[in-house]
Amino acid sequence: MASASASTDSGGGRSEMRLVDRCIDAAARGAATVEAWRRQRRSLERLPAQLADALLRRLAARRLLFPSLLEVFQHSVEEIDLSGHIAINAEWLAYLGSFRYLRVLKLADCKNVNSSAVWALSGMSTLKELDLSRCSKISDAGIKHIASIESLEKLHVSQTGLTDNGVMAISSLKNLHLLDLGGIRITDKAIRSLQVLTQLEHLDIWGSEITNEGASVLNAFTSLSFLNLSWTHVTCLPILPTMRCLNMSNCTIHSICSGDSKVFIHLEKFIISAASFGNINEVFSSILPSSLTYLDMSSCSLSNLYCLENMKNIEHLDLSYNRIINDAVEYVANIGMNLKFLSLSNSQVTSQALCVLAGTVPSLTTLSLAHTKVDDSALLYISMMPSLRTLNLSHTCIKGFVIENSVKILSISALEELKYLESLNLDDTQLTDDAIPPLVSFRALKYLFLKSDFLSDPALHALSSASNLIQLGFCGNILSSSGLLKFVPPAMLCVLDLSGCWILTGDAISAFCRCHPVIEVRHELMQELQTNSGGTSQLHKFRQPQQIKAYVAKSLASPGRLADICFVDERIKYSKEELMELQHLAKSNSLMHVVQLPPELRRSI
Amino acid sequence: MLGKGETPGHQNPPQHKDDDDDDAPHGVVKLISAEGFEFVVDKKAAMVSNTLRNMLTSPGGFSETREGEVRFPEISTPILEKICQYFYWSLHYSSGKETSEFQIEPEITLELMMAANYLDT
Repeated sequence: MASASASTDSGGGRSEMRLVDRCIDAAARGAATVEAWRRQRRSLERLPAQLADALLRRLAARRLLFPSLLEVFQHSVEEIDLSGHIAINAEWLAYLGSFRYLRVLKLADCKNVNSSAVWALSGMSTLKELDLSRCSKISDAGIKHIASIESLEKLHVSQTGLTDNGVMAISSLKNLHLLDLGGIRITDKAIRSLQVLTQLEHLDIWGSEITNEGASVLNAFTSLSFLNLSWTHVTCLPILPTMRCLNMSNCTIHSICSGDSKVFIHLEKFIISAASFGNINEVFSSILPSSLTYLDMSSCSLSNLYCLENMKNIEHLDLSYNRIINDAVEYVANIGMNLKFLSLSNSQVTSQALCVLAGTVPSLTTLSLAHTKVDDSALLYISMMPSLRTLNLSHTCIKGFVIENSVKILSISALEELKYLESLNLDDTQLTDDAIPPLVSFRALKYLFLKSDFLSDPALHALSSASNLIQLGFCGNILSSSGLLKFVPPAMLCVLDLSGCWILTGDAISAFCRCHPVIEVRHELMQELQTNSGGTSQLHKFRQPQQIKAYVAKSLASPGRLADICFVDERIKYSKEELMELQHLAKSNSLMHVVQLPPELRRSI
Repeated sequence: MLGKGETPGHQNPPQHKDDDDDDAPHGVVKLISAEGFEFVVDKKAAMVSNTLRNMLTSPGGFSETREGEVRFPEISTPILEKICQYFYWSLHYSSGKETSEFQIEPEITLELMMAANYLDT
């Protein structure tokens, strides 16, 4: 595991790379280095499993693996993850089938693994976990081979070509703890045949044709703790006393504990996004209130939150896309003690709701109010949520100032109270340039998003002294080329997103990039600029992948597309002076006919 | 090298006083390969390996370290030599004196990998 993470590290992590990781890296450098060691049979057989696993993983990631090379690992490797490798086919599986000690085999999304290919796996008596998720060519014929691997404890066959018959064959795998059948259209008949799997703890049957009748046999699984029934017709569940995590998104829920009203389920995680309810309060009354910590009720069309009463241990509460109004927020305030995540985005709440919440959510770290009618008066209340780290106020009515006794007061500075605020999203609000300076004094602020149509050069310049800023989104704003060049970025800044800043020229952006090679600038013109500059730009950790991307884009683009790119932006042809003139013109339309325009500009207007 | 090697040597005495005389003055440790070749390295360098660090600093002391030598019957001479080179490269690299990468010949990657794994480095 450590070696895997080290491989993804770059730059700073490299100096701390251990010798073991350096060796794995060196062994998997290229096809030639592989040839240098692949005949060292004695060493390969002695290789400890965790080293063999890591080496194989690195070879796979670098696309250096091929079927006959697998053979050298057959006595050492215990875990293989080849998920997403399209090349994997029957030949690969023939080699994998002879692995002596393989415990875990993950082949998710390997589109060329079919029913006959998995025949090779049938005799693998050491295999405990097999992932064939989304291998759509696997059908009932294929699962028969799998059903003979009695050692299996975890089986993922979601979104494969299985039918009822195939799933019924799985009932021979008596040691299964986890069974993922998501997206397979199994019926009640199949679920009845699985009743013999009494060890099952985790069952995923989303998108199946299961009805209440099928659900009624679920209590045969006496250890079941995780159940995903989303997108099914199940409305009532039997009493499942061991259940801890239940997903019934997009279901109509009448009861999750039918029969005995006195029994409480110790449910910890309840995901009911886009669900509808018979009587929601009745559904919630079967949950032990103190057990629930995670509740996703997004898109449930709720207006009342009475069901939340006494759920004092909730940490994660998603109420987005509901019809919740301010009065309902009272219920959230009552259970706010342990709340860490709260989303009220796309609901009907206004600033008044924040007045109710202020002071009741001491542990709240993440709050989303996006797409609500919240305005500046809420900021003062938000500043009374001391643990807040991430705040999303995008698409709200925040202006950045309030008028009190005809005096303009900058309201945003109220948030300065939030000592831990790291991420602030003010995209598509009505902020103006003069509301920006208070943001500079937010000590912990690392991520700031200011997509807008109204902000201009002074707003960006004000942010020069935001000393801890790592990422700044300044999309869509009226930023001039000279404004960008005069901008002194904060020392820590890594990403500057200027997408949609339409006045900027390619020259200005490339000049800025030259001055600040450490900063990743995002803009529509960036790709074109990098293709033009080729490999001359400075070597920096994120620069290389970008160049590769640009290179790939270039090589993929058909001649027709390239021609498009050439004309993406006409402004690149003009000098800075001409553009400044244009910018000035945009502000005062009335003057347009008077001013002498260069012929190209006349055409574009 | 020897001068630097004394630093861990000075730290050792309070931990195991009885073999003070063996360890402290030299500040070196002898690593012996499968074929019997002996490599004398500073303790400071040897402690790049967590396995050796544990041996050299554990209060009881391993019998091998009391004699100031550690035998590796599983590690061949060329591999142990490479390991010793790595110890010094690593010290220099972390102090910024060395900037070039540590070169590993493809032929020895497997053996070196196993030795490094054993030495936890």
